[in-house]
Amino acid sequence: MKNIKNLLLLFSFILVSLSSQAQTKEEPWTESQLMPTSELAALINDPSAKKPLIINIGPQAVIKGSVDVGPGKEKDNIKKLEKMLSKEDKNREVVLYCGCCPFDKCPNIRPAFSLIKEKGFTKAKLLDVPKNIKTNWIDPGYPVN
Amino acid sequence: MVFGLLAGLNAAAQESAIQIGKKAPEILLPSITGQSIALSSQKGKVVLVDFWASWCAPCVEEQPELKKLYNQFNKSGKREKNFEIFGVSLDSKKPAWEKAVRKYKINWIQVSDLKFWTSPVAKTYEIEALPFNVLLDKTGTIVGVNLHGAELEKAVSAELGK
Repeated sequence: MKNIKNLLLLFSFILVSLSSQAQTKEEPWTESQLMPTSELAALINDPSAKKPLIINIGPQAVIKGSVDVGPGKEKDNIKKLEKMLSKEDKNREVVLYCGCCPFDKCPNIRPAFSLIKEKGFTKAKLLDVPKNIKTNWIDPGYPVN
Repeated sequence: MVFGLLAGLNAAAQESAIQIGKKAPEILLPSITGQSIALSSQKGKVVLVDFWASWCAPCVEEQPELKKLYNQFNKSGKREKNFEIFGVSLDSKKPAWEKAVRKYKINWIQVSDLKFWTSPVAKTYEIEALPFNVLLDKTGTIVGVNLHGAELEKAVSAELGK
């Protein structure tokens, strides 16, 4: 009887831990590494502000002054990003962005952000684009290339 | 204040150009071969204007379904090819667009200005997310907005039957 009780307890413990894992899908970035679009737009528009390195890892470099790496889902582009980052100071602020689709559907941001994290960039940021670059950047009139 | 808000919302809704009963705005964009094609050139047919891109996973997944729909309704015979799909790609790079068109053997009209989300057509058609489509009757009037799957098939069939 005691064995069954222990078994049940173990089983429920496994179930609980599985469900909590499913609920908190681990993302490579943290909440504090998400940069609001308004913050980046203000940095670009302020002539005296120290500019971060802004890298497009989506279909097109829409944001003013950003450099184009291309979709992060493609291995060749991840290699390009790696090469670009190898020339940079790891303490420089780097902002990655895509903007093709909402985060949960975007195939580009995870491989790219995982790489920048792995390379040890202390001020790595991901631009918070909840919907897409049109709705969250172009429509509000933020600076474009 | 509530009334003011409601009136404001109502006005905003009325401003939308993309709704059932309105004429579809013209689209004049280049095809893969560079030849410009106008949406208005398809008047007289029931037209599905499909906004998509090779970088949009759900759009790409929908292409085989559209192919089935196209094969089903765009055939000679009684209805004399009265159905057309006008595919508008929001791609930014031509090779990616071409590759997807080849891969899914897309044989309907395909146009793009290769401007991604900065394409003026995304603004004109008030596109907030992809995939997005509008279904037009033979006069170019919008009869369906963002229909997919069985719902789309039913709407196309009903429109062709009119």
